[in-house]
Amino acid sequence: MAVTQAIFYLFATVLVVAALMVITARNPVHSVLFLVLSFVNGAGLFLLAGAEFLAFTLILVYVGAVMVLFLFVLMMLDINLQRMREGFLNYLPLGAVIAFVLVVEMGAMLAAGGSGAVVGGDGALGGTEAGNTTLLGRVLYDTYLLPFEVAALVLLVALVAAIALTLRHRPDVKKQDPGQQVRVRREDRVRLVDMPTEGAPYAPDTGATGSKGGEG
Amino acid sequence: MLESYLPILVFLAIALGVGVIALLLNFLVAPRNPDPEKLSPYESGFEAFEDARLRFDVRYYLVAILFIVFDLEIAFFFPWAVVLDELGATGFVAMAIFLGILVVGFIYEWKKGALEWE
Repeated sequence: MAVTQAIFYLFATVLVVAALMVITARNPVHSVLFLVLSFVNGAGLFLLAGAEFLAFTLILVYVGAVMVLFLFVLMMLDINLQRMREGFLNYLPLGAVIAFVLVVEMGAMLAAGGSGAVVGGDGALGGTEAGNTTLLGRVLYDTYLLPFEVAALVLLVALVAAIALTLRHRPDVKKQDPGQQVRVRREDRVRLVDMPTEGAPYAPDTGATGSKGGEG
Repeated sequence: MLESYLPILVFLAIALGVGVIALLLNFLVAPRNPDPEKLSPYESGFEAFEDARLRFDVRYYLVAILFIVFDLEIAFFFPWAVVLDELGATGFVAMAIFLGILVVGFIYEWKKGALEWE
């Protein structure tokens, strides 16, 4: 148990430091990378609390996909870094209030249900009997079948909406169609024209016209 | 149960160690005598013409958002894969319907040309 607690404190410390660096780093790209670090450490904390599925989802969805989108936005959008940093101190009171509320809420939660161990795998749903991925699977595809299918519909709506909002076909772009290139036949490219050969040899009459043009 | 994650912890420690050692060795061994010209940014030997940040095509977002949608779909697959033998045919049909709805979206995006890069 002591080892688990040591690992918990390691993850928690790195998480807090990384979260601080997210809001203080000068370069937004560094902020995103620190956010990735804090997500990974958060996943470690979830694992320690026994919430393996949450840890897994955090890595898979947030680190794998959402952060990629963040990096796309930050690395390539032309944002003025100086102007972004101007309001840093103005937002401090608001941030302090929100942080205070969060601390009070977390304290109340810990005070209310404080008996169970946070670290060690017993605190979260499922405990040690079966992982909470198993428990989640047992109810998700059975009891909550309808919400599960509705989730597919929500994803479908997101997909269609993304296409409707951002897809622009550019008519002026020239590109190759490999299928058409492969399917092409000789008749489409080469046309043989049957012509009679000329009887008289070709004799250009350049002398007279050339001299006339030169004089004029 | 936590013991089964020990290899991942070892992996993390080794990854961290390799990264830190590489940087540290470079810091200690490599010669360093910087001057302003060496440290100035350049592109192809010239001074940088413009900022690296520029407006870019919205279709990058489209690719990223489509990726996120199917990434979330994968997240639904994991609990299903774990308990499939308990669920039996019901679970299989449930996932088939789920997948069918998303395949409709996939066919739509394919036919619409959202996967084409013109």
